[in-house]
Amino acid sequence: MRKVAIVGGGATRCGKREASWRDLAQEAGKAMFENVPNLSQKDVDSLIVGAAQPERFAFQAHVAPLVAEYLGIMPRKVLARTELMCASGQAAIRYAYACVASGLSDVAAAFGVEKMFMPDMAEAQTNMTCVLDREWDGVNALSAPPFFAMTAQRHMFEYGTTKEQMALVSVKNHRYSALNPLAQFPKEVTVDDVLKSVMIAPPLQLLDCSGITDGAAGVIMVPADDAKKYTDTPMYVVGSGQANIGNTVGNLANMTEWIPLKMAAQEAFQTAHIAADDVDLAEVHDCFTISEIMEYEAFGWCEKGKGGKFIEEGQPFIGGKVAVNPRGGLLGCGHPLGATAILQTLDILQQFRGEVPKGRYVEGAEVALAHNLSGPANVHSIMVYSR
Amino acid sequence: MGNVEFDKACRPETVKLPFMLDFYPLEDSKNTMIGQFFTSLKQGRLTTTKCKKCGKLLWPPRIVCSNCLSNELEWVDLGTEGELYAFTEMKLGAPLGFVQDAPFSIGIVKIGGLLISARIDNAKYDQLKMGENLQLKIVELEDGRVFYRFRKP
Repeated sequence: MRKVAIVGGGATRCGKREASWRDLAQEAGKAMFENVPNLSQKDVDSLIVGAAQPERFAFQAHVAPLVAEYLGIMPRKVLARTELMCASGQAAIRYAYACVASGLSDVAAAFGVEKMFMPDMAEAQTNMTCVLDREWDGVNALSAPPFFAMTAQRHMFEYGTTKEQMALVSVKNHRYSALNPLAQFPKEVTVDDVLKSVMIAPPLQLLDCSGITDGAAGVIMVPADDAKKYTDTPMYVVGSGQANIGNTVGNLANMTEWIPLKMAAQEAFQTAHIAADDVDLAEVHDCFTISEIMEYEAFGWCEKGKGGKFIEEGQPFIGGKVAVNPRGGLLGCGHPLGATAILQTLDILQQFRGEVPKGRYVEGAEVALAHNLSGPANVHSIMVYSR
Repeated sequence: MGNVEFDKACRPETVKLPFMLDFYPLEDSKNTMIGQFFTSLKQGRLTTTKCKKCGKLLWPPRIVCSNCLSNELEWVDLGTEGELYAFTEMKLGAPLGFVQDAPFSIGIVKIGGLLISARIDNAKYDQLKMGENLQLKIVELEDGRVFYRFRKP
């Protein structure tokens, strides 16, 4: 296996964009290539496009060659679209990483696009209801909010986690997204704002939930030996992990302890030859406030059941034990499914390069990770990066 | 503008809900090999498949055992009483086809040694308690298909 580096990337602003799926792809593609001036589109031999539901949101399939045409890329090694719902972009990165590491590809673009705003938003909600097993869970209207609401309810019941602790996750992530020009919600919120926001699926309120978002992003991956041809400040893939247990809601390993995340984290730490405490910065999947609390626990930054206390103590803030979601998270930046992981990854690169504003800059960060869950948190995907 | 013609193009004013946006499974033997599940449901019985070879109870019902790959499966009854494991209420964000029902309660129910998700029909969020007993209920769609839900006794 060859060591792999990320040498640059670009993204669109996220949110409710007055732009089509194709517009978003072009905007991110232009930004990506402009960030790697020594690279021409024709150098890219492989393109992996993370897109969760273009068939539903934009009535378009076969999107990888569509992106290739619009960006002037002529793939001749590997071309594919990856779908792993909320982790579709992480799947694109993992796939591109495997292609470059194996020697199959010398320059791979891991790209992600999602256009989620539709004229009738009930249609967008409908799309999100075929993520869980549609015939046995989706049929009961189990989309993400009710599923994670029940997860939160169980976590509160079993471990005494409070709504105020959950709200703090939203407060922290909006504090950082307020400093992120790409964010969908660049505005600080208070605990009171979260607790007074409209009820979506109790106990989850609007500000406990990440948004419906339009956005796109891409990064360029090359063998580490070639990295300095393109940039003085590459970032290296040093580890990764991915695990899945079950799919139907009743067949999950455990509702309040994400066993597949513990497995994926262990694999990621082992391959990176690090321990949980060595992580300086983590972009984790805060699709809902409860998710981030359970992630503190599964990554081993705190004891099982003490995730609420961990944020109460300020540990996941910059300057605490580990800086979690200094980008602003999905809660603050939005969640354009296929693009989310690429946006997280790009922000880690910009952190390492010192290109982010002061209030959300993690000084001296050497080791970072990007994590996404997908479906009913039965799948967890992690990449570990270093300067 | 010279010879450029302007004309109208037509689309139907209403479209029947396309079946791929219909959340309920197709139940008859032309469309599924687990039609027996729905036949039993019509008789008020909630069932699933159990592997005759390795004994594994399989949910959702299927035609091949995911544990030992045997296709010798038998139908077993899960009973009609369950225990509420978790619940919430769909207040905002219901999908097409369910919008007219919102708000409505959704739960995860322990029944027959399994956990299954289901709608809970006759109680709001505030009226439900973790661990309470629920009773099986069958709903019939206008086209004769059936599905299971739960209710407070």
